[in-house]
Amino acid sequence: MGEEKGVRRVPYLLDFYPLQGEEHTRIHPFFTHLTEGRLTTTRCKACGEVLWQPRVVCPHCNGEEMDWIDLPQEGELHAFTSVTVGAPMGMEDDLPFVVGIVKLRGTGLKVLARIDGASYEDLSIGQAVRLKVQPLEDGRVWFRFQV
Amino acid sequence: MRKVAVVGTGLGKWGVRSATLKELAQEAGKALFDDVEGLPREEVDSLLVGCALAERLAFQSYVAPLVAEQLGINPTRMLARTELACVSGQSALKMAYMAIATGLSDIALVMGLEKMNTPDMSETQTSMACVLDREWEGVNGMTAPPYFAMVAQRHMHEYGTTQEQMAMVSVKNHRFSATNPYAHFPKEVSMNRVLNSPSISPPLNLLDCSGITDGAAAVLLTHGDAAKEMTDTPVFIEGLGQAATGNLTANLPSLTSWPTMRRAVRDALKMAGATIHDMDLAELHDCFTISEIIEYEELGLAEKGKGGRFIEEGQSDIGGKLPINTRGGLLGCGHPLGATGVAQVVEVVQQFKAQVPSQRYVGGEWGLCHNLSGNANNHGVVVLRRGS
Repeated sequence: MGEEKGVRRVPYLLDFYPLQGEEHTRIHPFFTHLTEGRLTTTRCKACGEVLWQPRVVCPHCNGEEMDWIDLPQEGELHAFTSVTVGAPMGMEDDLPFVVGIVKLRGTGLKVLARIDGASYEDLSIGQAVRLKVQPLEDGRVWFRFQV
Repeated sequence: MRKVAVVGTGLGKWGVRSATLKELAQEAGKALFDDVEGLPREEVDSLLVGCALAERLAFQSYVAPLVAEQLGINPTRMLARTELACVSGQSALKMAYMAIATGLSDIALVMGLEKMNTPDMSETQTSMACVLDREWEGVNGMTAPPYFAMVAQRHMHEYGTTQEQMAMVSVKNHRFSATNPYAHFPKEVSMNRVLNSPSISPPLNLLDCSGITDGAAAVLLTHGDAAKEMTDTPVFIEGLGQAATGNLTANLPSLTSWPTMRRAVRDALKMAGATIHDMDLAELHDCFTISEIIEYEELGLAEKGKGGRFIEEGQSDIGGKLPINTRGGLLGCGHPLGATGVAQVVEVVQQFKAQVPSQRYVGGEWGLCHNLSGNANNHGVVVLRRGS
């Protein structure tokens, strides 16, 4: 996370987003895949469990060998709400925004994410959503879902 | 193992306080030493402090010695701070219990405290978002209100619970806090007012949520034999239970069923040799109105999905099946994270000693305190019994 011209640098302890480069984290492929438009996670080579979030050690069998697998990019809303006040720093300008739990299609896997493209009033449980890759100002990325 | 009793209590005023973390500690400490009049400070051999977010909200680490300095205590047996978000205070109590039960400590002071109001509310919210997995879930703007809003949405969806039923919890608990001079919100509220209060995270309105509160609470623990010499009414810790899952919201099996609470309640009651029907009152963790409704169900007081009906029928009020949150709960008293779990115990002890105003007096012999943290993944339960 280098200093770049025109990018407001948030103090590290007020910066929500994970450090994403190879020098910071062993799950850096997750972020590389995300820039390619792919939502991925790790699957333990030893026991075959799909792990969310991506791990470097399997919490089921202690395995350390992982495969990166693609997750479905579509899902449906299991639950959602709108944040109307009390946003953390850096998110105040986005108010109100929707957050939800997305059940990924064809899997038992759920992920928590921001939901873009509709207001709270327009949504209902079961609403179909798809992956949206959100570029950050400083070159990092994060995932959201959108209607 | 020795019996462990609560022999003294102390509370400071809760609210948006013009006071620092250290001053909150002094106030609750004074109240405690006033309550156990005549106890020399030197006899307190241990200090356990529950405080969740001092590093972020008060820019302060090494909190236990900080509190020792404020209270004039020099612990010779045990000194530690516990951090478990909203269960930090109950964790400190549990550690003190273990120290006294094993003989490591003879007299232990437990203090829970939190300074939550800072000059910048968005900085406070930023710190609250660190209670969840910050880089995976907090990053999405997720704090407690939106999480419990989704819990409420699912409970309404699965069981037909209504906003009116949720509002009734707030009305009841504010009626109790109106009699509590230490409460952040010592004022009654009407159904209309709750239902028309500003939306925080739908379906939760402002008065469905506990407050961002500064506060401290303290109790003094000792072993069975010493307790009878220190007070006419020792209150014994008879049962403890705790159960948890990991913290990732996405991996929780259900938003509306809290099996870890069920487990913690079962274990604490079993240890106490009691059932839920023996309880005379309970302090439940009503961080949001929906929480208390689910807790009726997980306590076994109402069938799964029928928690809304339980409040509607007045069963959690004085005169009902089990009076709940006579202190005013988190909704009425506010929720200084580390202080809440200790303040719940203070209420039960003060009830047994008839130290509360008559409007909310229940008294009795058995009380249960339930404290939860995070995304309701962790639950702790304490069962208390009045000694004679």
